[in-house]
Amino acid sequence: MTQPVAKLRFAFFVTVLMAAAMTLSACGPGEPKTSGAPPDVRRLTEEQYRNIIADVFGSAVVVSGRFDMPVRTEGLLAVGAREATVTAGGMRQFDETARALATQVLSEPLLNFLLPCALSNQMPFDEVCASSFIGQVGRLLFRRPLTDEEIGVRVAIARQASESLGRFEDGLHIALSNMLVDPQFLFVTERIEPDAKVPGQLLLESYSIASRLSFLLWNSGPDDALLAAAQAGVLHDKNGLEAQVERMLASPRLETGVRAFFGDMLKFSDFKFLEKDTEIYPVFGAAAVKDAREQTLRTIAYHVIDEDADYRDLFTTRKTFMTRALGQIYRVQVTAPNGVWVPFEFPADEFRGGIQSHLGFLALHSHPGRSSPTLRGKAIRNTLLCQEVPDPPPDVDFTGFNNPDSPSKTARQRLDAHSTSPACAGCHRITDPIGLALENFDGAGQFRTAENGEVIDVSGDLDGIAFNDASGFGPALRANPAINSCLVDRLYAYASGHKLGPKDAFVGYLEERFAADGYRVKSLFKRIATSEAFYAVSAVSPATSAAAAAAGQ
Amino acid sequence: MGFVMTMWNTAMHETPFMDECPQGPTPGNYELWEASISPEKRRSYPEVLGTQMRWLTFRGRKGEDVCEQPMSIQDPPLTIVEGKYSYGIDLDGNSDGTATPKSCAHRTFTGMNGEAGVDNQMYRLLGCIQAWRSTGHLETNANSQRRTGGLGMILVEITGVDDIRNDDDVKVTFYRGIGSFNLDSKNNVLPFGSYDIDIENGKPRYDDTVDGRISNGVLTTQPADVRLPLYGNYQYLNQLIRDMRLELNTTESEKPAKGMVYGYYAVEQFYDYVRGLLSNFPMRHKYSCPAIYVAAHELADGHPDPDTGKCTTLSSAFKFEAVRAFINHPSKVDAVNEAGRKTSLAANRP
Repeated sequence: MTQPVAKLRFAFFVTVLMAAAMTLSACGPGEPKTSGAPPDVRRLTEEQYRNIIADVFGSAVVVSGRFDMPVRTEGLLAVGAREATVTAGGMRQFDETARALATQVLSEPLLNFLLPCALSNQMPFDEVCASSFIGQVGRLLFRRPLTDEEIGVRVAIARQASESLGRFEDGLHIALSNMLVDPQFLFVTERIEPDAKVPGQLLLESYSIASRLSFLLWNSGPDDALLAAAQAGVLHDKNGLEAQVERMLASPRLETGVRAFFGDMLKFSDFKFLEKDTEIYPVFGAAAVKDAREQTLRTIAYHVIDEDADYRDLFTTRKTFMTRALGQIYRVQVTAPNGVWVPFEFPADEFRGGIQSHLGFLALHSHPGRSSPTLRGKAIRNTLLCQEVPDPPPDVDFTGFNNPDSPSKTARQRLDAHSTSPACAGCHRITDPIGLALENFDGAGQFRTAENGEVIDVSGDLDGIAFNDASGFGPALRANPAINSCLVDRLYAYASGHKLGPKDAFVGYLEERFAADGYRVKSLFKRIATSEAFYAVSAVSPATSAAAAAAGQ
Repeated sequence: MGFVMTMWNTAMHETPFMDECPQGPTPGNYELWEASISPEKRRSYPEVLGTQMRWLTFRGRKGEDVCEQPMSIQDPPLTIVEGKYSYGIDLDGNSDGTATPKSCAHRTFTGMNGEAGVDNQMYRLLGCIQAWRSTGHLETNANSQRRTGGLGMILVEITGVDDIRNDDDVKVTFYRGIGSFNLDSKNNVLPFGSYDIDIENGKPRYDDTVDGRISNGVLTTQPADVRLPLYGNYQYLNQLIRDMRLELNTTESEKPAKGMVYGYYAVEQFYDYVRGLLSNFPMRHKYSCPAIYVAAHELADGHPDPDTGKCTTLSSAFKFEAVRAFINHPSKVDAVNEAGRKTSLAANRP
């Protein structure tokens, strides 16, 4: 009888130990303190603008018009948005877009749905109804409740317009157009307040916390529940914040946020300018461009959200999604009708594996009429490993490389000239071996084994890990530690709008936690979203404080 | 291995100065109409869509449409090909053109590579008609319509292939595809698209299968009656080609593969197509329906009617082009799951 009891006790003891170990592992070392950055003012990105309009008014509302070119800083548009301005032309576009949106919103049947009063009571001017409409819509557009004064001004505008134009909704049209061009909508303006608990300390105001959170996780403005949580003041409380983060991570809108981050990190905004020479690549048309971008984002969303899989496996996974337009270029059979996406797994004996072997990456980092080991190598260094590769010097002589009568048949042979030229070798040695590993894919991403009749040699090594073919390149990329630190750096910079210095303890902390969490991207989103560092604010920028520290002040 | 046909033309040997037609092009409906009525009466016909072409064929003895009723008037005989050479093969196994139990007496051609006894009465019939020649737009228009509309899409599936260069025993099945062609910016059909088979009650609407062999990369099929459902000039052509033989270079994967189809084409089936060409079709004024009808029956050289002994089919040769394609069978098409990303990946492996 005693033996089973002893066994049970032992099992209980082991279970307690394991639970303790797991708890410790989950907690890990405490979060280091960070100085924070000054509160942000940043222009909404085009995607954020579109997402907010869809969230507030419904996806049937069409946002037409063009936006000012975004600025990319530190590898991210999200960071560049802090430097973005609105040009006179851009303001005109915003104005036209606002009027067009107001027309759609204030037409039936949408108006019946959005308006808090019956439309039959159009005139005389219904002040209560107008105040309610402006207050509700304004709260979502400005990402905070409007003050009575702000509502009052807009109601007065609406009244005047209604009386001049003769219809109640015409007045609302003017008021709504006015809100849609207001800097309070177009710019995310963070506010700070003194920390009541720690004298002299500054805190990010509740609604600004809500905005940071929603733009990070959903790439859109806060929803009603998040604004309500901000209003109740629970976002300053750890448990209250975590509850909102959990809710938002569980929402299908997380996919929008994940796509936005990876689209930014992988520089997918460049797809707007992607064109191939149709004489050389007739198969690569507009449909392929659209689907190539979507394929990689869909694969990432599936991997990161649905599977909650190891981030590193994104560079080896053969699982993806396919359409007929893409199947034609990959040369695989697709049974789904045109325009329909289906899951697809590349056969194990093929060279495709990882998002770097997708058409999107391969075609984006190629010339219009040929592949480019240098562009591909540079893209991997820059975007996936966060390693800077300088632009070529302005006086590079490309005649040898572009000579049509060159005896060099393959890109490797042509690029050999660079590796022997001292002016070129420095950069080409770090880009070309990576890019040459992908030479089995032409400028449109189509598989090939030979170039100009000569068999392509794709062997090489990536920072010490050797490979013989394109299928070996993915594992080499996966094993590179920079792939993880780069993601952590980029995601934090994307979330906060500034890059932390390499010696910042919070960077090391996040990298460590990312590894402990099994390199799960969703967990990394959560770590950042629930960290104190993410909301820390100061009166000086990290760059200034770093410079001051360096100067010993 | 699959292909989708992208081009289909009656095989015509055309010389620069039309030597094969010593009498020149055959007179058409327009000339015959103009000659048959006075200028005053001609002017009395109203224009339809900016032309009087609508009325060209209403010249039967009682005003009938002569294309609808080709025996309602006797037109001058059709100008037919008198040249020596033609595309085609010896279909009846008799190189001198004398009658056999399965063919009627006819003049034979010499093949383009010097082969004797080539049977191609379709070419003899159509070779001097401007509308059917390469400058005549009739077949160009049909090909263009097929490409843009995706109608009359012929899928060719070769199964049982062990070696794509040499295999003595393969099966070749002809299906009709449904959907649209995958085109590049110049309207060329791209290779390696996925195409669905046209299904009726869960089964392919067309699925004739023949035996074949591949030799040095060229597929040839055994003679068999095969339905090849084309479309062109606003008509579905559910054409049946009797004793059909096909040749196709199967090694080409990047560019369109070229092929030939030989066989007998029923006179009535052919004339149904002629009859169906729209009366205001611009090419219609360049041929005479009654003359074609009479000549087609006179030139018919295959499949004698057991009762009358008169032949009912025309020996023919067609050129076609095809690009490599993936052919989606009904079971696979039905298996498509659009439910989203959680769907099993394994189910959709090629």
